[in-house]
Amino acid sequence: MSVKTNENWEPKILAFCCNWCTYTGADLAGLNRMKYPENVRVIRVPCSSRVNPQFILRAFQKGCDGVLVCGCHPGDCHYATGNYFTRRRFMLMQRLLEYNGIDPKRFQAKWISGSEAAKFRDTVTKVSAEIKALGPNTKFAEPHFTEGGDK
Amino acid sequence: MALSEKDIELKIREEAKKALATGEVSCVIGWTTTRFPDKMKPFFAETEAECDELVWNKYCINGTAKYALDDRYPSKKFAIIARGCDSRAINRMLKDKQLLRENLYIIGVVCDGKENPICEECQHKNPLTYDVLIGEPVPEQIDEKRFAEVEAFEKLSPDEKYEYWAKQYDKCIHCYACRNACPACNCVECYADQYRTGWQGKASDRIQNQVYGLTRAFHVGDRCIECGECERVCPMGLPIMRQTRKMLKDINDLFGDYECGMPDDAMPVLGGYTLADPDEFM
Repeated sequence: MSVKTNENWEPKILAFCCNWCTYTGADLAGLNRMKYPENVRVIRVPCSSRVNPQFILRAFQKGCDGVLVCGCHPGDCHYATGNYFTRRRFMLMQRLLEYNGIDPKRFQAKWISGSEAAKFRDTVTKVSAEIKALGPNTKFAEPHFTEGGDK
Repeated sequence: MALSEKDIELKIREEAKKALATGEVSCVIGWTTTRFPDKMKPFFAETEAECDELVWNKYCINGTAKYALDDRYPSKKFAIIARGCDSRAINRMLKDKQLLRENLYIIGVVCDGKENPICEECQHKNPLTYDVLIGEPVPEQIDEKRFAEVEAFEKLSPDEKYEYWAKQYDKCIHCYACRNACPACNCVECYADQYRTGWQGKASDRIQNQVYGLTRAFHVGDRCIECGECERVCPMGLPIMRQTRKMLKDINDLFGDYECGMPDDAMPVLGGYTLADPDEFM
């Protein structure tokens, strides 16, 4: 199977957004009619620490080209401490993925508050551009989910 | 003066008998002989006669701590023969609330290394937690090359790294021996056995093996005591420690010097946080 070099290829990006901050921020971006790339798929989670590192592996497995985890700024967590756990967990996860050959740009985490609609737009735009430059992800991906999979 | 192997063995038997004689202890976990002179196996001595079957020599390699989990909530105390590595595993299990200290009688034995390559890297020859200690404590060594392998591997390009691990995981046969031998894998039910939630695919192909390898590395993360049991038992010879040590190296780099299983009250790295943690996600 040859790798399709489709010029119209658009990355699939999965964004886990915390209900209390980022999801509201994304909502505000919509209300303000801000334009951001539509290749990001938002999953609402109660807290960024709800995101299990295995969700990220599963996302890559099922054909995502990039994963974004967004939560409240440290100190602002609705559950007081959730994002401090997120911070430790994903700093380690990012490094472990890098160690296994996944570009750290493919898995990013970001703090975006409910009022930072512009930051949400900018983050998504930036991540989308970065992943577009990296091209389709074939690592950890099940072959039938990717264009020209791993084996 | 250091005790000879035979002296230690006799002392172990003596302590084991003493522990059983109190009537509070149901069994003593140690090692005994097999039909091969260079293979010892884990052994549960339940009677005084069985205590004489306990042995101590350079082939007593298996970790004993894992067997403490066979009966997590025992009706009676049990005794366990613990070297430095076993005592650290027990410490972490206690911290994870997988065992209760009052259910344990720990017979600590100073260990000068076994016929196991990982013992050359050992930083804790003396047991850290024990009720009775056999042997004179020896000076500890610091393993300067603890993360040398990981650091060298980090220098490769992303594709080289991926290719390396993909080839390794192609060999994996999904036997879960690493998990079964690992004292850090102390969950009552492993995520990989939770068939109905479908975390772990059953197929033994590259993708599923990679997911298993990475997930296990992350789960073990701050629990790894670097005993090397995973690599020793792996029938396909995967360099599993290279993944788990990467986690430990990052923990050391990001959150300060860390070694698992030390007898302190510190929160586990992934079970806690500090406000001063570095932040890369602003």
